Amino acid sequence: MCALLAPMAFAGESRKYFNDKKAPGGRQDLEAIQSAIQEALPKVRAAAVCVLLGEGSGSGVIVSADGLILTAAHVTAGVKKKVTVVLEDGTELKAVSLGLVAETDAAMIQIIEKGSYPFVEIDRTNSARLGDWVFALGHSGGLDKERGSVVRLGRMVRMANSTFQSDCTLIGGDSGGPLFDMNGNLIGIHSRVGAQLQANMHVPMSEFITHWDGMLKSEFIGEGPFAEKPEKGSGFLGLATEARPSGGLRVSKVGEKSPAQEAGIKEGDVILKLNGTALETREQMQGMLKEMAKGDEISLELLRDGKTKPYTLNLGER
Amino acid sequence: MEKPNPTHSTSVNGKIRAIICFALLSLPLAGQQSLDSAFRTAGTAVVAAFEAQRQVLQTSSAVILDGRKEAGYGVVISEDGYILTKASEVSQVAKLNVTVDEKNYTDAKVIRVDAIWDVALLKISASGLIPVNYAATSAVPQGTWVVGNGATTRTSRRLLAGIVSAKIREIPASGGAVLGVVLKLTKNLLEIEEVGEKSGASEAGLQKGDFILKVEGKPIKKIEEIAELLKDRKGGSTVKVTYRRKKIETTVDVRLAARAELFADQQNRNDQMSGEYSARRSGFPRVMQHDLLGSRLVVGGPLLDLDGRCIGMNIARANRAENYAIPVEDLKEIAARMVKIDTE
Repeated sequence: MCALLAPMAFAGESRKYFNDKKAPGGRQDLEAIQSAIQEALPKVRAAAVCVLLGEGSGSGVIVSADGLILTAAHVTAGVKKKVTVVLEDGTELKAVSLGLVAETDAAMIQIIEKGSYPFVEIDRTNSARLGDWVFALGHSGGLDKERGSVVRLGRMVRMANSTFQSDCTLIGGDSGGPLFDMNGNLIGIHSRVGAQLQANMHVPMSEFITHWDGMLKSEFIGEGPFAEKPEKGSGFLGLATEARPSGGLRVSKVGEKSPAQEAGIKEGDVILKLNGTALETREQMQGMLKEMAKGDEISLELLRDGKTKPYTLNLGER
Repeated sequence: MEKPNPTHSTSVNGKIRAIICFALLSLPLAGQQSLDSAFRTAGTAVVAAFEAQRQVLQTSSAVILDGRKEAGYGVVISEDGYILTKASEVSQVAKLNVTVDEKNYTDAKVIRVDAIWDVALLKISASGLIPVNYAATSAVPQGTWVVGNGATTRTSRRLLAGIVSAKIREIPASGGAVLGVVLKLTKNLLEIEEVGEKSGASEAGLQKGDFILKVEGKPIKKIEEIAELLKDRKGGSTVKVTYRRKKIETTVDVRLAARAELFADQQNRNDQMSGEYSARRSGFPRVMQHDLLGSRLVVGGPLLDLDGRCIGMNIARANRAENYAIPVEDLKEIAARMVKIDTE
């Protein structure tokens, strides 16, 4: 019973009357729309973030106090990747990408620095209707600290199961940013645009809710077009090893300009552990690497001159 | 804002690449519903709610025409025919015509230009016009409704409505502020090899073959010394340049302009998805930002609040999602200054 009642608490903020009018009738309706957005903005602005990953930048929105972020799959483009999240006040936080849904462009990111973060409520009742007034936030064109995230107003102009379309104009950098209803509840995540200004696509919350647990477990769900599934065995470390009777693998050769060499691994080092697993045989290590893909981060425990030292590096492309 | 890196002219704003995907809209969406275009934000039924503000655009905005072709809009600032518009757009017009309300004026003249703000003062022979009523402040919360010119018919103004969408701020010159010349070293002197077409150097009369001797009174021997001197300068500001032509030395004020807007029209992905945007869209001392669903042609007119008061002047369509307006405080100052010089 409690579980059934829970969503009602969110729906408790009543649906704004102007959403049920085909068009605003005049000044009073326009002012009602204006006050709704202005009331919602301060809280939701604080939860809208910029996501920096490699050379690119996108947007996202925090949905829990411990820093869970919803974004688009083509922003994170993979699971368990290091990203930087920038809050409205410019604070940069370390974060990691969790799971994603490759067909519909949904993804999660988790801030890994401890804190209590501003967050928004998710519309769990799929309450958005065609013609509803909505607003978008996002870091259009990339992070601009003087400007902050950009707010745009529009209406829900097209709805389908896995896509919402609004006439809030989006541009590069907005991807992964939040679409809100006029109570400031999160209803969608920006995904892509068409050639026309009215063609701005968002991933509905229902898509996130359907795949919530899988994404939390960092699963790569489905196949393209928004993220390319990492190909197992495509990762490249660039060293040769031989088993050591006393345990671990001795590095017998390090490839020129290989990820191993760039991480500072030298011939004669002994690899004691890979991703926390103690190594005994070459086949064991090869088997583990075969399950990984290019770009994956690995951690090694190395023995050199009688001292152990941890290393982390990203696999190159085979 | 991070400093634009002049060596990376492909990233127009000196910003890092932004992520987005394109998808074809023709993809069939299962069970989709679609909102009739009249009820979309720029649709006729929604726009009808702003009839009071449209009336203000009808009387107090001007349509700038090239012959009979729409070239932009203007702000009517006096009963006797002073109009402000976007300078870089009106400068492209071959046969200047202006429409206010239903009347066409064929005698419009560009009186003067404020290069820093990219504002031109026009004059038409008129009387009894209704100038805009200035709003008290541009410092309104984000989410506040604003109204500007949409497309127009010969006799009737249309409008677009949107909201204030970001902080009021400066828009630095994209790619850095430059004189707009290409230089080469000739016998230990800097010779102008090329003058950018719409550059401050061109406006100041600099020509190919002139030798640049000093900038801000400082003798210049190397190209890098100019770059160093201009490093922290703002687009639209002026510097004193001393040059030599046929043994005569002359010193002129040269307006600095955004490098990205003077040379090589390299578009980034956001530009490609933006449709038409303003050629001059950076180097403004202060702008307010809004989200009207306009085109490049709807720039130059007034930005109104719900009371129909002029809260700013549309000065640039920066891209698909961002439009800039000169805030009313600055607009009033520009208007007063330009008209005063003309009437003195």
